[in-house]
Amino acid sequence: MGDMVLSGIRKRSWILMFLIVLLGFGSVISRLFYLQIVKGKELSDLAVDQQMSDITVSAKRGSIRDRNGNILASSANVWKVVLAPVYFENDSDRRKVSNGLADILGMDSDEIFELAKMSNSYYQTVKRQVESDERNKVLAFIDKISEENPKLASVIVLEEDYKRYYPYNDFAAAVIGFTGSDGQGLSGIEYEYDSYLRGVPGRVVSENDGWGAAMPFEYEQKQEAHDGNTVVLTIDETIQHFLEKHLKQGIIDYKVAEGAVAICMNVNTAEIYGMAVENSFDLNHPYEISDQSALKELEKLSGTKRDQRENEMLARQWRNKAISDSYYPGSVYKVITASAALEEGTSKPSSKFFCTGSYVPYEGVQAIACHNHDGHGSQTFAEALCNSCNPAFMMIGKDLGYEKFWEYFQSFGFNSKTGIDLSGEATGLFFVHEGEPEGSMWPTDLAIGSFGQGITVTPIEMVTAVSAVANGGKLMKPYLVKQIVDADGNVIKTTEPTVKRQVISQQTAEKIAEIMEKNATEGTAKNGYVAGYRIAGKTGTSEKIGQSRKKNVEDYIASYCGFAPADDPQIALLVYFDTPTGEAYYGSQVAAPVFASIMSEICPYLGIEAQYTDDEMKYVSTAAGSYVSLSIEDAQKKARDDGFEPFVTGDGDVVISQIPESGSQIPRGGRVVLYTTTDSTKETVTVPDLVGYTVSEVNEYASEYNLNISYSGSVNQEGVYSYAQSIESGIHVPPGTVITVYFGNNDVDDTVM
Amino acid sequence: MGNQFDGITKKVKDFVFDTEKIGELTKEADEIKRKRRRKKKFGFMELGNGVDIRFVLLLTAVVVIGLVMMFSASFPTAYFSKENSYFFIKKQLVAAVLGVAAMLVLSLVDYHHLHFFAFPLLIIGWLLLVVVLIANIGSNEPKRWLNPFGVSIQVSEICKFTLILFMAHWSSLYYDKMRTFKYGVLPGVVLLLVTSFLLYLEPHYSGIVICGLIIAIMMFLAGVRIIYFVIAGGIVAVTVVVMAATGMLTYAMARLDGWGQALTYTDIDMWNTTWQTRNSLYAIGSGGLMGLGLGQSRQKYMYLPEPQNDFVYAVVCEELGFVGAFVIMVLFAILVCRGMYICLKATDKFGTLLGVGLMAQIGLQVILNILVITDWLPNTGISLPFFSYGGSSLVMLLAQMGIVMNISRTAALEKK
Repeated sequence: MGDMVLSGIRKRSWILMFLIVLLGFGSVISRLFYLQIVKGKELSDLAVDQQMSDITVSAKRGSIRDRNGNILASSANVWKVVLAPVYFENDSDRRKVSNGLADILGMDSDEIFELAKMSNSYYQTVKRQVESDERNKVLAFIDKISEENPKLASVIVLEEDYKRYYPYNDFAAAVIGFTGSDGQGLSGIEYEYDSYLRGVPGRVVSENDGWGAAMPFEYEQKQEAHDGNTVVLTIDETIQHFLEKHLKQGIIDYKVAEGAVAICMNVNTAEIYGMAVENSFDLNHPYEISDQSALKELEKLSGTKRDQRENEMLARQWRNKAISDSYYPGSVYKVITASAALEEGTSKPSSKFFCTGSYVPYEGVQAIACHNHDGHGSQTFAEALCNSCNPAFMMIGKDLGYEKFWEYFQSFGFNSKTGIDLSGEATGLFFVHEGEPEGSMWPTDLAIGSFGQGITVTPIEMVTAVSAVANGGKLMKPYLVKQIVDADGNVIKTTEPTVKRQVISQQTAEKIAEIMEKNATEGTAKNGYVAGYRIAGKTGTSEKIGQSRKKNVEDYIASYCGFAPADDPQIALLVYFDTPTGEAYYGSQVAAPVFASIMSEICPYLGIEAQYTDDEMKYVSTAAGSYVSLSIEDAQKKARDDGFEPFVTGDGDVVISQIPESGSQIPRGGRVVLYTTTDSTKETVTVPDLVGYTVSEVNEYASEYNLNISYSGSVNQEGVYSYAQSIESGIHVPPGTVITVYFGNNDVDDTVM
Repeated sequence: MGNQFDGITKKVKDFVFDTEKIGELTKEADEIKRKRRRKKKFGFMELGNGVDIRFVLLLTAVVVIGLVMMFSASFPTAYFSKENSYFFIKKQLVAAVLGVAAMLVLSLVDYHHLHFFAFPLLIIGWLLLVVVLIANIGSNEPKRWLNPFGVSIQVSEICKFTLILFMAHWSSLYYDKMRTFKYGVLPGVVLLLVTSFLLYLEPHYSGIVICGLIIAIMMFLAGVRIIYFVIAGGIVAVTVVVMAATGMLTYAMARLDGWGQALTYTDIDMWNTTWQTRNSLYAIGSGGLMGLGLGQSRQKYMYLPEPQNDFVYAVVCEELGFVGAFVIMVLFAILVCRGMYICLKATDKFGTLLGVGLMAQIGLQVILNILVITDWLPNTGISLPFFSYGGSSLVMLLAQMGIVMNISRTAALEKK
């Protein structure tokens, strides 16, 4: 009977069993299958993300150095402030810690409070790149709160991190570039070589279990952080400094509105020794507008308009004009036209060209004027380049022909990137005619193209092309990184010079170099001459057609490109001023003197031996000796032996001080003032106005005022006048002080369309 | 007056105990037992006292694996919060020893004696639910735990057993009246209402759900008419809606918040409430097919809060992969089936109802627990039998398995 009754229960038990197994365990197992097999990869990636993000050990970013090992960018230890909100027990503690941290770190306390409310989290980043003084304050704060409440001891964690420092602030900013908050390179070398500099962050699997402590169990997988590589630039800190110093001065002197560029290149290897782009910005604060007038403009704006304008200004400030600007090269391009004509034999050095002051390239076309409206008359090929005569070059271009003109534009590399190891490089543009293939020209194009109008080039393309003329016709690939060295000092990559192609023969190159040297000594480029050195150069002035800042105002680009020494070229230098707004705007007036100032410092620095003409010897400076603590007689004798004229003041017997000081550079025959009493040292003279005179006139003034003159510029030439002095007139200085006077030629010698 | 009161007492006593009837049923069962015992021979698959050895082996496997995995999941938390990696496993092992002792004792005690404990234990269970409310008065946390002599006891664990026992007792007593409302439905409704009310005050909603399901299963086994389940389901649904609308379920509603959104949370609060479930899913997914290896879970290192408790199986999934998780689930399923099979071969209705009920409760909790950790059910406190940390739960579970073992001794299994 019992079994009969049970049968109903058993039936239902079987039903229950099937329900539990099929519905219950069936759905459970299929759910697990879905999560572990179907979604397994996705979920495990999320889990790894969560675990890994906590346990990355930052690698130290490699430094950037100049060719001599000077540090231009390096990373230093800073700290990351991290909250472990899981240890908070109540909102008042959260509030207390948020307020405390906000005070120390200069942050919004509500923002930190929001992080503190992530009550299950062991890791919330509060602030990165905290420096040691703030870090010490945070440490003191941790001590304080953990004394009050020991449970708060592990709420704040300080983690090691790195910060990028640029010791010279705005130095070579366009080349070096800067990094973002995660340490990733954003511009310049920092961006281009990011993969080398970055290093490999280390990982410790679940080391950071949220409690901040390393795990007590030997199961963790460690992967050490590998510090980034050091990038050694071809840049020479000293040369870069010369470039920047003189560009900055030039920008002030010539009221340059849109910045300036100077590039110094080794002509034989195409290493860039210096690439200065002004106005520069502080790499330590790349997001601050460095241009004061721009800042003033910003202050007047507000809202989105302000943000938009600010972004424009930042983009302008970060722009590397040396590789990104394309401009009409103007007369500098005549070097290329001349090279092509000689190479192709369409003109000979002895060819004659007659300039009447203007030229009609084709019948029915308006005459194009020469800058010399009276005409240059009959000139040889070389004289035409030295005169920078446009009609002569229109004739040379016509003889060369369309095809060859286009061919040489390409072969000198103007329509392609130079391949320099920096991002953001632009290319020059040949005449653009819509609907026609690249390289097509209209009749007048050839005429104006011959003297560098209507075609554009970038500064780096121009200096690379001129380097090809200087090195015997080889077009090279310019580069900025010499070597990459790993953290242990092993060289892992060395850049070798790359010759792209022979663009002109050695013979042609030498002939053009010879003409360019003549041009720099007695032609239109003579303001670029540096006494004692064999400089070759060419000036250029071009109008920024369609790119002027305002309508009905003509803006110009003044440039000078040359190399030295002319007989054995080693370095090429391009100086480029965008929109000089002062009275002077010609290449010969603006770029040439700056070129000369830079060359006069680079050549001795590179150990290029000076060879003075007899005429120049008069103006060559030598170092003054030390005459202090000698008797008057001995001192006078020694000074005369050194080639100076001694001048004694006071009535003592022994020299107690001297001006100029020993080691100062003074021209031969300059005055050395020897003081014998302390009273006598108080004597001063007033500096006279020395601008606008000839060399001999300045000399007279110097002896009259008991001052020493250091001559700068092309002093051994005729028609040269002083245009600036290093110490302004009206200032009181001790007698014997050395004043540098700059001489130059004021001829207007360039072509402007 | 006195007489009248005595009368009522006797009536209640007769109603719930019906000693005469119990005696009758017991006698009947003894008769069958005696017959079977005479036939009994000693077999390889039985213990000396006739306990089903397959069930014992399955149970041993589950308990041992459970202890090992609980230890693996708990040691980082134990190390960091208790400064002793063995903190949880030590307590769990003590509970296991006590539980095994209770299991052995109960496997030897004839389960028919439990008839006499059914009603008193039910009342004691309810009283404990009242005591737990009083003992934890003033606490903001859910009032679920009693701590006599430093031992934490979750009272609802006891209640689940007393409900099963009473339902089995009642149904076997009045089995022929189960199709009536008075005997079939009313007791279950009363039990559900009283228990639910007390658990509601704790509050402990997952407890209500489990107790409700247990009562329903027991009524189903007893043969209550299906129409009553439909009506009861309707009433429960209406009640929940009404209570939710009147704000009586705010705590439960808060727990429902974030359900199914563990991977798609939208704000900080959601991020916090879904933290545990999200990290459970990360752990389960990280296991893949083969798992990271025993002891190699990453998620148990302070990512998954309290990995030794309800979410222990997430760590199992991470360390042993789908293969391990599948094998363990199959083990559980076989254990439940074997237990039920033993009990439906029991000599009487009481044994079948009690044993099947106890095994169903285990299956139910396993399924609900996995559905919670895989984010198919909201995150409520449902532990995994034999795996989750908790002494009172383990002792209760093993003791109940002792009863099933006792039932197996007299069950009509094919004994060789």
